[in-house]
Amino acid sequence: MDPDQLERRCPRLGGDVAFGYCKVCGEEKTACFKVFDCWWERFDVVAHMKACLTPEAFDALSASRPHPKVVSLVDLIRKAQERAATP
Amino acid sequence: MKPKRIILSKDEIPRQWYNILADIKMNPPLGPDGRPISPDMLAPVFPMNLIEQEVSSDRWIDIPEAVLDVLAIWRPAPLTRASAFEKALGTPAKIYYKNEGMSPPGSHKPNTAVPQAYYNKVFGIEKITTETGAGQWGSALSFACAQYGLTCKVYMVRISFDQKPYRKAMMETWGGTCIASPSNETKAGRDALERDPDTPGSLGIAISEAVEAAVSDTSGKTRYSLGSVLNHVMLHQTIIGLEAKKQFEIAGDYPDIIIGCAGGGSNFAGLAFPFVLDKINGKQIEIYPVEPKACPTMTRAPFAYDHGDTAGYTPLLPMYSLGHNFVPAPIHAGGLRYHGMAPTVSQLINEGLFTPKSVGQMASYEAGVLWARTEGFIPAPETTNALAQVVVEAKKAEAEGKEKTIVVNFSGHGLLDLGAYEKYFSGELFDYSLDDAEIEKSAAVLKNYPEPQHLKSV
Repeated sequence: MDPDQLERRCPRLGGDVAFGYCKVCGEEKTACFKVFDCWWERFDVVAHMKACLTPEAFDALSASRPHPKVVSLVDLIRKAQERAATP
Repeated sequence: MKPKRIILSKDEIPRQWYNILADIKMNPPLGPDGRPISPDMLAPVFPMNLIEQEVSSDRWIDIPEAVLDVLAIWRPAPLTRASAFEKALGTPAKIYYKNEGMSPPGSHKPNTAVPQAYYNKVFGIEKITTETGAGQWGSALSFACAQYGLTCKVYMVRISFDQKPYRKAMMETWGGTCIASPSNETKAGRDALERDPDTPGSLGIAISEAVEAAVSDTSGKTRYSLGSVLNHVMLHQTIIGLEAKKQFEIAGDYPDIIIGCAGGGSNFAGLAFPFVLDKINGKQIEIYPVEPKACPTMTRAPFAYDHGDTAGYTPLLPMYSLGHNFVPAPIHAGGLRYHGMAPTVSQLINEGLFTPKSVGQMASYEAGVLWARTEGFIPAPETTNALAQVVVEAKKAEAEGKEKTIVVNFSGHGLLDLGAYEKYFSGELFDYSLDDAEIEKSAAVLKNYPEPQHLKSV
């Protein structure tokens, strides 16, 4: 079984996505912070991700959280201003 | 024919929103330096009149006439007695619902999209940007912008853009521009495309694009809009509960129980907040935000500061949340899978004014189908969570032989999410639930986190 081909409805997007998408749809092509939440009952997603990632990347994913919106916004504004200032 | 709907006249529409921040104490969101985030930090993306509402502690805020003129397309929304649903359940309870599915986009979302568009307009803004996943918020904002002659640009995640062409059509019908994200219009989008020209996009990239489009417009005529969680969003939604209070006066009734589904919290808050003021003043009311049992953010979690990242340098905001290791069972319930709830809703749970409830997925669809077959309207998947709790309370009333009055917010219709019903009917949906050991394991992760100051308002 290739888990990348498995599909389910994404609670954030409201449509069906393949597991392969969930592995790369986070910031800088990292896995979605909800990847364990969504896939744990379909197969051993934790073991799978551990095998795919470096120990540091796996630790970061395991500890990732959704950011509160107002706080995320302040961070997004700062990053957007930096991009706008870059020629 | 028995009267079923209580309809307010045009002159009876509420003329002020109720601001819960006048009656509760809130911990401010903290910046990376540990200091509160200041209003000016949001100025690049929101007009100052909306930021003033975001931080206002005035109890009542006037609704501008130009906003009422647009809301009048579908408001005041009826308060309807669900008499056929009552009969089917055989309950002595009186069940009422506020029908938010009657707005042009079919949900409660335009209650805030309209005033947000208006305040941008009077601030001199000509263009509003936003991101959208499934397209509901993008549709609501496109509708609202059309009413005030504003340009609306919606960055829709590419994978959804390709899957849901009718959503784009809805936005375009209202004059909005819906483009697939990543796009070539922003540096964030171009960078993403350069890394992978065939990328299906993500919500993170779409938000970055929408914010960049607002921030980088040197004319200062572009801002960004958000449809959930923030205080001004909750404020605008209170028109739901304010109307309901007037309608109950006409009916000569008053609710014993108030119910709404709660993902980010805005539709629930819209109905509940105006009644909270009565509860603070001693009225006996039970107020239930409802969530899926398989993903219990509110019902079993401790109140804790929620780190945004492992290093702890992301700013903090008081939120209900489970621990890092929280692994909920799968469930389909539209937008209910947020880990973060609106801070005001979290605070009122913390103070004991709201009692969160959870329901199973199958009970939710069962309630939704019964509702459709009795009251006629097909509920959105997340709305069925609230209806399942209504069934629980109606059966309790029957068992106790009490004629309780229940009001529920019918937050939106499900006509654009019929695939979920198809899966229910074909037996593809199942119930799952976390066991206590899993919850305890999750809670243990939070034990070393800083505790917020538990302020009590009453």
